[in-house]
Amino acid sequence: MQAGELSAMSRQIRKKAERDRRRFIFFCILPAFLFLAVFMYYPIAETFRLSFMKSSGLGADRFIGWENYKKLFASEEFQQGLLHVFLWAFWSIIIQLPLAFFIAFSLTFYINRFTRPMRAIFYLANVLPSAITAMLGKFVFSPTNGILNSIGANAGWKWLEDIDFLGDVHIAFWSVFAVATWAYTGFPIIFLMSKIEQMPKDMKEAAEIDGVTGWKYAWYIVLPNLKGAFRILAVLCTIGSLKLFDLPYMMTTGGPGYATITLGISLYRQGFINWQYGRASAIGVVILILSLVFTVLEFAGHGGDEGGK
Amino acid sequence: MGRHVRYGVPEVIITIILILLSLTILLPMLLPWMFVFKTQLEYAYDPWAWPKQFLWSNFQDAWEAIQIGQGLLNTLIVSLGAILVTVPSSALAGYVFAKYRSKTTEILFYAILIGYFIPIQMGLIPLYKLNIKLGLSNTLIGLILPMSAFLIPFWTLIYRSFFAALPNELSDAARIDGAGHWATLSRIMLPLANPATVLALLLVFISAWSDYFLSLIMLNDQKLFTMQLRVSQFLNAYGTDRMPRYAAAVIISMAPTIIMYLFGHRWILQGTLAGAIKE
Repeated sequence: MQAGELSAMSRQIRKKAERDRRRFIFFCILPAFLFLAVFMYYPIAETFRLSFMKSSGLGADRFIGWENYKKLFASEEFQQGLLHVFLWAFWSIIIQLPLAFFIAFSLTFYINRFTRPMRAIFYLANVLPSAITAMLGKFVFSPTNGILNSIGANAGWKWLEDIDFLGDVHIAFWSVFAVATWAYTGFPIIFLMSKIEQMPKDMKEAAEIDGVTGWKYAWYIVLPNLKGAFRILAVLCTIGSLKLFDLPYMMTTGGPGYATITLGISLYRQGFINWQYGRASAIGVVILILSLVFTVLEFAGHGGDEGGK
Repeated sequence: MGRHVRYGVPEVIITIILILLSLTILLPMLLPWMFVFKTQLEYAYDPWAWPKQFLWSNFQDAWEAIQIGQGLLNTLIVSLGAILVTVPSSALAGYVFAKYRSKTTEILFYAILIGYFIPIQMGLIPLYKLNIKLGLSNTLIGLILPMSAFLIPFWTLIYRSFFAALPNELSDAARIDGAGHWATLSRIMLPLANPATVLALLLVFISAWSDYFLSLIMLNDQKLFTMQLRVSQFLNAYGTDRMPRYAAAVIISMAPTIIMYLFGHRWILQGTLAGAIKE
């Protein structure tokens, strides 16, 4: 009788402990989940739905199937946006990553009194808000009073004075890209630096004993060990280009013509200038699907190179 | 560090190249000082002459043209709001995901983690419509909430890996001494997570501070414009046609970030890398 009561009591206590535990878990996860449910999951689901609708904010939405996507892929604005996303990603990988490797390797290989301040300087531009970066970009490239044109005028270099960095269809893309390279190469630099510093210390010494020094060491020993890091960076470059909006929008608003338009700008134009919610949502879906594809590629690469870590 | 190996000529050449490269980073930030003390006339006459006097009125002009005071205040509210929403909810969720692992919590963790890979562009239109429905359109709160929702997954991930690295013995001991779940968290575990919290405070602040796209969509009222919207509006309205004032605008709007970086660059670098390296 007594034993039965005792076990009933302990069962109750255990039950209460379990209930407390569950309640604790519930209330800890609740806030994060609530915010995500309302401001992320719901909007994403809604974007998918809207992308199949004719929707302009006025009047009822109407289901039109794949019409939005068909119109998009037929429109020059979207085609150019997609093209620029891939061009941007391609050139980021080709130009920014090797440059970052050169700087990262040098800053970890040669250590002297300049190393420390330079590490801080190389990341500095990365921290600036994009509006400020755009402002600096215009400071350098603007046709009225821009630094480069002004230098050209002052030195009597007509060719430099006459380059229309932001207004020429063939040059605008590269001007914006130059500003982005200036601003965003800092991240791959510090990322690669931290990866290089994580490598075992005796690797360098062993290589030196074998006579593999300097840039031979960089090429044959360090570089192969950074495969995984480069793959991550390449994916980040690609996803970054898919999301690209701020710099080209503020520097050239996507122009001249479609010369610097991106998917982000196209989405903004369709959604908030033409009020074509449906078509803008379709662009959002394309951005999402492409970034998920590239993220999956990252994880696939990740697992292969570093044993799942 | 400490061990200074000398590599002779290659080291000198590479160091010179690196110094030139870092000057490329610094030069656009320093050059505005060449122009900022000149009158428009002096500038038009000879932009590259050394300034002859210290003329401060350009700063005042730029301050007024950008209308920076209100912008700064709004940005500050948005940044603090984003911190207030993001950091506590990420810390709580991250703690449970690290220390109360079960099948259910793992599934929920991955559900939150997915958010890390979702670009905000994906939700802009519904978010905009949602804000109208909720009566939050054109308010700072209507900007803070979605912004935070898109920051939470990342910081949950960081808190989770930080808490997971803390030994279980401490919380177990506290539990045996009779401390409840909440007491264990608030008295033992959260203080131990201070390094993660410092990073979160700083980097969430910077993300919110730097935001442009979401603010552009969510805020129409000029009075609510954040600093970055003010700057971009200044770019549209005035452009570079009065260079001395433009230079002053560059210097002023850059200043908060530069100051933040001077004092906090160690943590900023550390936090950025923590996010990139963990998992």
